[in-house]
Amino acid sequence: MEKSNLNDLMKRIQKDRDEMAFSQIFDFFAPKVNSYFIQNRIKFESSEELTQEVLSTVWVKSNLYDSTKSALSTWIFTIARNKKIDFLRKNSKINFKEEDIREFLYLDREIDLIEENEAKKQIERINNELDEQQKIMIKMNFFENKSHKKIADELEIPLGTVKSRIRQILTKMHEFLR
Amino acid sequence: MNEIVVKNQLIFDFASGILGPAKSLFASTYLELNSDASKISSTFENMLGENLMDNENIRPKNLKYTDCMNNKNIKSASNLKDPVTSFFGNLNNLNWKQVYKGFMEYTTSIDDKDELKLIKMDPGVSVPMHSHAGKEYILVLDGSFCDEYGEYSKGDIQINDQKIKHTPIASKDTGCVCLSITEKDVIFFGKYGSFLNLFTFIKSFFKQK
Repeated sequence: MEKSNLNDLMKRIQKDRDEMAFSQIFDFFAPKVNSYFIQNRIKFESSEELTQEVLSTVWVKSNLYDSTKSALSTWIFTIARNKKIDFLRKNSKINFKEEDIREFLYLDREIDLIEENEAKKQIERINNELDEQQKIMIKMNFFENKSHKKIADELEIPLGTVKSRIRQILTKMHEFLR
Repeated sequence: MNEIVVKNQLIFDFASGILGPAKSLFASTYLELNSDASKISSTFENMLGENLMDNENIRPKNLKYTDCMNNKNIKSASNLKDPVTSFFGNLNNLNWKQVYKGFMEYTTSIDDKDELKLIKMDPGVSVPMHSHAGKEYILVLDGSFCDEYGEYSKGDIQINDQKIKHTPIASKDTGCVCLSITEKDVIFFGKYGSFLNLFTFIKSFFKQK
């Protein structure tokens, strides 16, 4: 589906609480969000519950989305990421105290300071600079949260190469944003 | 050590949601105070959003869109203060511990492998030459300090490791309040060095108990 179509659907949800529009957003994003949780090593049963929470948030809090500030996929990614953090926290062996901070650090944090158009240009520039292998590495490292070792094993390249290539991306980030 | 790499690593890890609670609080405060860092974070979140857009599809088996429209568990948004204030409250009301004259610390009880501390230095106060056993991240919340490497003011971050020896001095006018993450204890050199090393040793001894 095109991004502009997704934005139109989202507008219909925001304005008219359009259920058919939501069903289309659901059909497009639910399998991708579910897949994100599974890639992050969350079991299928839980991944489905989390996917439900993410899409429920999209429906209930649709008014929080601002299409001038971020792409819809970015907004939904941040919701999914926050649910993941919440889930891992609840299931972690670490004894988190009540005053634990994660809850409010990630909760509905608005993405601002950057316009959608500006972001689009930057991503295009970054995509031109990065080769296919680096793009895959970004996905594996930061989207699927795999260790450098795991990435090296899966791509069948030396660990040192993975580390230095990711380092390159981290160094280049400042040039990209100029 | 390349500071840019470590800074961006912190921002990327925060956007990915893999930091422990101590570093999460540190990173979100950094993004709040530093607009460059915040831009990098936004751009990176957009890149991760693109990954979601192109992600493979694994269809949920028992989930329909209508299940997501009657979910009562979703709370409405709350008004958020900045992370440091939300977590610590008013910094003036904290139970600061004086390490030596003009140098105060407040260590949080966050259960994490990294230690999160607030540091307050009175105007003109300096820290004896020291280096760091693990990595140390310093974020200036208020005022400024300078050392052999430059001047650091509100929203600036300094990252130190075992190769760096430095003597920070708080600004004569404003003093300095910083948030710090230490991965391991600091090693001191010079006049008060042995005393301060003993102090950190004793402190770590009590921490284990």
